[in-house]
Amino acid sequence: MISYHQITLKVNGETEVVNVPANMTLLVMLREEMGLTGVKNGCAAGECGACTVLMNGEPVNSCMVLAAECDGAEVITVEGLSHNGQLIKLQEMLIAKGGVQCGFCTPGMLISAFALLKRNPDPSENEIREALVGNLCRCTGYVRIIDAVKASVEK
Amino acid sequence: MAVTDKMPELIGKSPLRVDVHGKVTGAAIYTDDIQFGKNLLYARVKRSPHPHALIKKIDTSKAEALPGVKVIVTGKDYPQRIGLYLKDKNIFATDRVRFVGEAVAGVAAVNEEIAEKACELIEVEYELLEPVFDSIYGASPDAPLIHPDMGDYEVANFIFPKPGTNISNHFKARKGDVDRAWKDCAAIVEKSFHIPQVQHVPIEPHIAIAKTDDNGRVTLWASSQSPFAQRNLIAKTLGISESDMRVIAPYVGGGFGCKAGVTMEAMPVAIALKAKGHPVKMRFTREEEFYTNFVRQGLKIKLKVGCDKDGNMLAMENTMYWDGGASTEYGVNITRAGGYSSTGPFDIPNVKTDSFCVYTNHPIGGAYRGFGMSELHTGIGQVMDELAEKIGMDKVEFLKRNSIQGGDINVTGMKMHPIGLQECIDKVAKGINWGVKEKASSDNKLRGKGIAISWKAPAMPPNAGSSAFIEMNEDGTATVNVGGQEIGQGAFTVAAQIAAATIGLPMEDIRIAGPLDTQYSPYEWQTVASRLTWSMGNAVRFAAADARRQILEMVAEAWDEDVDDLDIINGIVVSYRSEKEMSLKNIAVYGIPKEDDQGWIGGPVVGQGSFMPSYVTGLDPETGQGPRAVVHYTTGAQGFDIEIDKDTGKIEILKAVTAFDVGRALNPELVKAQMEGGMMQGISSAIFEEIILEEGVMQNPSFVDYRIATTVDVPRVMETYFVEVPQDDGPFGARGIGEHPMTPTIAALGNAIYDATGIRLEGPPFLPEKVYLAMKDAGILD
Amino acid sequence: MLYRRQARRYNTYKRKKTMLNPHPGLPEFTYVKLASLDEACGFLVEHAGEARLISGGTDLLVRMRDKAFKPAYVVDIKGLEGTDVLAFDPSSGLKIGAAVPMNRVVAHPDVQKHYPLLAQAAKSVASYQLRNRATIVGNICNASPAGDTLGACLLLGGRLNIYGKDGERFEDLVTFFKGPGKTSLQPGEIVTSINFPLPEKGATGTYLKLGRNKLSDLAIVGVTVYGFPDKMTESGFRIKVALASVAATPLMPPVVETVLSENEITEDTIQEAANASMDACFPIDDVRGSARYRKEMVRNLTRNAITEVWGQLQSRTENGLEANR
Repeated sequence: MISYHQITLKVNGETEVVNVPANMTLLVMLREEMGLTGVKNGCAAGECGACTVLMNGEPVNSCMVLAAECDGAEVITVEGLSHNGQLIKLQEMLIAKGGVQCGFCTPGMLISAFALLKRNPDPSENEIREALVGNLCRCTGYVRIIDAVKASVEK
Repeated sequence: MAVTDKMPELIGKSPLRVDVHGKVTGAAIYTDDIQFGKNLLYARVKRSPHPHALIKKIDTSKAEALPGVKVIVTGKDYPQRIGLYLKDKNIFATDRVRFVGEAVAGVAAVNEEIAEKACELIEVEYELLEPVFDSIYGASPDAPLIHPDMGDYEVANFIFPKPGTNISNHFKARKGDVDRAWKDCAAIVEKSFHIPQVQHVPIEPHIAIAKTDDNGRVTLWASSQSPFAQRNLIAKTLGISESDMRVIAPYVGGGFGCKAGVTMEAMPVAIALKAKGHPVKMRFTREEEFYTNFVRQGLKIKLKVGCDKDGNMLAMENTMYWDGGASTEYGVNITRAGGYSSTGPFDIPNVKTDSFCVYTNHPIGGAYRGFGMSELHTGIGQVMDELAEKIGMDKVEFLKRNSIQGGDINVTGMKMHPIGLQECIDKVAKGINWGVKEKASSDNKLRGKGIAISWKAPAMPPNAGSSAFIEMNEDGTATVNVGGQEIGQGAFTVAAQIAAATIGLPMEDIRIAGPLDTQYSPYEWQTVASRLTWSMGNAVRFAAADARRQILEMVAEAWDEDVDDLDIINGIVVSYRSEKEMSLKNIAVYGIPKEDDQGWIGGPVVGQGSFMPSYVTGLDPETGQGPRAVVHYTTGAQGFDIEIDKDTGKIEILKAVTAFDVGRALNPELVKAQMEGGMMQGISSAIFEEIILEEGVMQNPSFVDYRIATTVDVPRVMETYFVEVPQDDGPFGARGIGEHPMTPTIAALGNAIYDATGIRLEGPPFLPEKVYLAMKDAGILD
Repeated sequence: MLYRRQARRYNTYKRKKTMLNPHPGLPEFTYVKLASLDEACGFLVEHAGEARLISGGTDLLVRMRDKAFKPAYVVDIKGLEGTDVLAFDPSSGLKIGAAVPMNRVVAHPDVQKHYPLLAQAAKSVASYQLRNRATIVGNICNASPAGDTLGACLLLGGRLNIYGKDGERFEDLVTFFKGPGKTSLQPGEIVTSINFPLPEKGATGTYLKLGRNKLSDLAIVGVTVYGFPDKMTESGFRIKVALASVAATPLMPPVVETVLSENEITEDTIQEAANASMDACFPIDDVRGSARYRKEMVRNLTRNAITEVWGQLQSRTENGLEANR
């Protein structure tokens, strides 16, 4: 038997009330109930990082969180990073440094990097690499992504 | 067709990508992001648990009775065969299954869970057959036949199957006299290598949605490198006319070859034909992506090479057994590419090549970035390294002495066009400080350097074509329509750049029409083979030149001037004679009014262009000889400086350097990005990746045990260089660079390992365990 | 010439005959959030065999997709009393609640100061975003032989706080593991926290993990070493080792401790201890590595880890740091 849960949460600043089945992950809720398709489904097993979102300020694999667990949570997806068309520096640097190719890992990569710079405004290259180890990219070889995060550090 | 002779300013600059804003905001639409509403059905696949078996009976009655199930199809519904070069595959298995994971039935239901449950309820009765798991055994007369009906299969005229065996293609090259040449050799090296199957691992798994209208017209939305090839193959197979089938292909979240041709896309179409009005969505789980998607074929390669006492290459014998898997509809052409490129970029007077594509009961082999060249060069790069050592010559000097050059006659009898391979070798040698034996960072490390060279030609039918058209807009911008796909490589950006440079527009005045849609987009064979910049680029250049000509003729008429005195600079038509100026705004659509309201000149400007190589010839089936086997070769070199940890066998890459001759780098930053990403994919395949198959069952079908490189595995120092020896028929001299950077990687790393340890491993991945145990067994460790 | 299938690969694998084929999504279940440990316990007893606990879910959800676990009920322990506690008491030690994600443990100043070994081990688990959900107690209750934090928890004297229908009980971690995925937990019992005594004076440790990638992978072999000055031993030190991925449960070969206690610590005795460590383990061949390689790695990594710890112990003794702690 499956249970349903009415949850209230904030997504990208907006309060949402949703009725979710127990087996719905945060990933599926964001993509299919809220149309936030910037959150990508790459493995559904917590390994690739494409679905990474901020939950209560910290990055999580949204495929590894039940929607029912999110009652009262605050979630930010890639769609919530820029405001009124104004890109944040990380997005600008990812463009400027050429850190985007197919773009499928980009949303999760941005969220992980955003969270890193929030907790550590001046990370070393090692710290950048370690923070992004859970975000797989097959196109870029990571070089330009790491460069973009370095260039986003506000000196 | 008049194209400005001087190099436009935009060529060789690196404007930002045109696709990137949506990709950093989450707005870019990929196939799974399209919303289909409540009518959508979800499809899942019943798969074979056996590597080789006859299907005796399929009972779908229990599954049909499950509430929520709408359609079930099996091989009985679609007995037709499908395939790119050899029609040897069924959409769903008909009488026989040939690999673990082969589709046996498809179910569409109101949600994925019900579809999955229905699959579990389908009962299939099998009679097990003896399987084949080895390509050399498979090619032998002892092996059971996997495709007994191969003789009836439709096949392209340059593929040579051997009915009555498991050999689905045998490519032969015979040049000079190998047997006589061995006698003159001062040094000979003989070695065998085994390169295992690997998976492409795009971060976006395969996904396709199909819908049939009341009138029988079919629409397919797919994450696709090949909307036109898919339209063609699927329509033909299912008896639909090409124009009644429409393929829409949004952004692709990584392809690397696995979204070329038709892999899984025919399945949702086959289901949707029986679910009229319902869109039917099929998306692979990551695990399915690993074990049912086309793989890079395994290869067993036996090489014998010899040179004279001065280190001049005299002969090569190359025998390749490709593990083509259960179907080789695409793989047969990899075998051919391996054959006509079988010497690597070396000038060798006497060559004997046999390249066999062999059916096995393994996953289906298909296109993978490099199209056989990573596997081939894994062998060639390492035997050349040993041959140089055996004759006592510096390895870089040996490469330079024997590498092929413009004017040389290659293995298939084709005269090589000018290439900059020598310069690539120099750049890499310098980059890794070749010739200087450097100290390891500690006593428990071994240090070594390795270098290898490679080449690759676009592998495709001789007449693979491209087309483009460019519409001018009221605001003076131009919309570029292409059929080539943006799979991350930057194809749209390069198309925009070529169009802008050719017309005389600023980059920001170009729009790329998308997503690709066979109903509106101009034809493109496939986004594969590193051919877009060159082939599609030509079509765009011609279309842009056509649009430019129309604009200039219109203005020339209005101004009563000569077209030759006019130019378009940053969207303004200027006359060098009268110094008049006119913005493209409005005129390119509405035309130019004649003076005193006496009528109009011109009208909507639409430029069109197409390109197809017309000069590729067939090869003699017995000798592989012919005037021109391919359009061109991109060549290059790669080198590594590494350390190996004696305690664990782990390889640490201190420095990775690569250089390729790209003809002309239209967008240098995009070229470098391809080199970095490609080299890293090569490194990943060299040190981590392998589809571990036991009795046909993949043992590591998830990211937990199929590891790919992460941020922490990237070498500290990576250097990329390009050399520019122009391609005569490339746009502004450009050649492709998408696949090449990963083709010499395994060999170069293998050579570095050898330099550090004296050990030559049979093949990748160069796992710490393999390296360590080999060192241990060789007595290198204390 | 007759071609036959090549001899078995360099590595004999524990073969999976059937293909792992997880569902696209999670199967149906009922998600249960209860108000108290008592209620949760009661629920688990009532639905014995049908219910599973979720804390971070990083293991549970994967196994539910794989169809390895098919619980009818998933009971959330987050919010239950005591599970959110992460506190250090200078007199009694450290308490880590069952719902405290690893990142909170790693970032805690008292953990970094007094239990750096635990922080180091936790930081080696998967990725940053996974560690925002994964918990130390979850890692323990999964009882995977590859669990990265288990060695540190064992060597630091971890003790579990277990809540059951008869109330609370404590169990030392050393007796907790019974096999892969098997523990001494009884039906209805919930591990609410793990507790650590104050570290030994002058203690230091390290966790050396061999994965395929430099970070983020599971351990092919993991070696945890923990050492501290001890006047009761011949060597003046006590050095202990715990091994991951080389037996059905985490191993703590006592012989290593003995060798390094009863003899003067030299390169030779460290090598002897490393050899003993290798001899004490009995790994299997699997897809991540062969038994032969694992044994070799246990020896080499044990030697390196002891050497590192021994170096730290010596420099502390020389600098008189020991007295200050």
